[in-house]
Amino acid sequence: MERVSFYDEIARNKRNSFFLLTFVFIVLLLLTYVIGLAVGGDYFFIILVFGTIISILYVVGGYYNSHKLAIASVSGKLADGSQYHQYHNIVEGLSLASGVPKPKLYVMNNPQINAFASGRNPENAVICVTTGALENLSKQELEGVLAHEMSHIANYDIRFMTLTAILVGMISIIAQIFLRSLWYGGGRGSSNDKDGAIWMVVGIALAILAPIVVALVQLAISRKREYAADSSAVKFMRTPTGLINALKKIGGNKPMKVSGAVAPLFIANPSKTKELFMTHPPLEKRIARLERM
Amino acid sequence: MVLWVIIIVVIVLAIVFFAYYNRFARLSQQIDNSLSQIGVQLKKRVDLVPNLISSVKGYMKHESAAIKTVTDARKALVSAEGIEKKMRAGNKLQSALKSIFALAENYPNLKANENFLQLQQELSSIEDKVAYARQYYNDGIMSYNIMTKTVPGMWFASIYGFKEREYLKISEAEKAVPKVEF
Repeated sequence: MERVSFYDEIARNKRNSFFLLTFVFIVLLLLTYVIGLAVGGDYFFIILVFGTIISILYVVGGYYNSHKLAIASVSGKLADGSQYHQYHNIVEGLSLASGVPKPKLYVMNNPQINAFASGRNPENAVICVTTGALENLSKQELEGVLAHEMSHIANYDIRFMTLTAILVGMISIIAQIFLRSLWYGGGRGSSNDKDGAIWMVVGIALAILAPIVVALVQLAISRKREYAADSSAVKFMRTPTGLINALKKIGGNKPMKVSGAVAPLFIANPSKTKELFMTHPPLEKRIARLERM
Repeated sequence: MVLWVIIIVVIVLAIVFFAYYNRFARLSQQIDNSLSQIGVQLKKRVDLVPNLISSVKGYMKHESAAIKTVTDARKALVSAEGIEKKMRAGNKLQSALKSIFALAENYPNLKANENFLQLQQELSSIEDKVAYARQYYNDGIMSYNIMTKTVPGMWFASIYGFKEREYLKISEAEKAVPKVEF
């Protein structure tokens, strides 16, 4: 079998992700434009101005607080240096290997083996692991998991995932507002001209489909990013063994209850679903790829 | 029209020249920084050794030879100059420490000592960190050297006077566990 160079893999994943992000953005523009046309000429400008202001506030707020929200949603606690000695030591070593500053370390109380990273840039990044991961993984396996999370930070996946989550959230909020507004005197004003009616139909169809399509694209990005993070984890550790063994152990996890917004950040799917709706590729596929390196 | 074309070409060229200078400068910075990180970790190792010796001394009364090797290796590391020599001395100290830890297996009381265990863990994590910092240093050298050897980086390297840099060549054999004689 052909060996996959990890440098090539990272480059390819970065390229793919850029195209996917552009796609999400185009859908967003299309949606607002069609809704503006559907609602009618007089309101078009007002909708555009208010929509833009609210969107900017939402994006900026989400962008600067994403890591706090993620930690709060799983009720993670700051990992104390003297109690979680090994955890701190491993991350310090990996930050030397990756050139990324040491992130803030958190622990979440959960018997399953899992971990996630979040933040807008490496300087403001956090890593959170479950107590289950600290108790059940050997030093080398824990190092593999943490190397995977450090890769998400080093590759700027954390910023990318934060931005996509915000954009996807925005599309579904806009779609919801539009669909709900139809219940309250929607067809006023320009309803007698044909164009308005057509745009209304297109708008409704788009408002229903766009959030679904975009969510599927987001999941596809998330899965791609996992392969990239696995590759860079191997680059930092110079051996895939630790990560492979950790993923095998994670295969024995029971489903975890976490909010949908943070699910793509975890090292492995917190819950079990069909591949199209998964935030992560199946463990077997990831292990198979790692074994080829 | 011709004037505009000239202006645009000049601007583009200036951007390319700046971009390449910055890439070289950033990589050099990264390389120097990882080098100083290696120094920081070796310094930490030096600082921890006296604590280790004092916690070990009471238990290992008959191992004065092994203890002396460690203190000598520490002295050698303190006086070593230049990164290559420091790394070599650091490796010697690490192997001397390993023989102490191997000998400690014979002293159950020592192995139960909380302070000793903590020092052991700390010193082994320093070993990992030195290896990681070295790896990052060599990664940096690799990207830097690839840039100085490929087109168009090669041209800019000769314009700016950036020369190829050396990898850290410390053989893995020196890191091997030393023989322990009883």
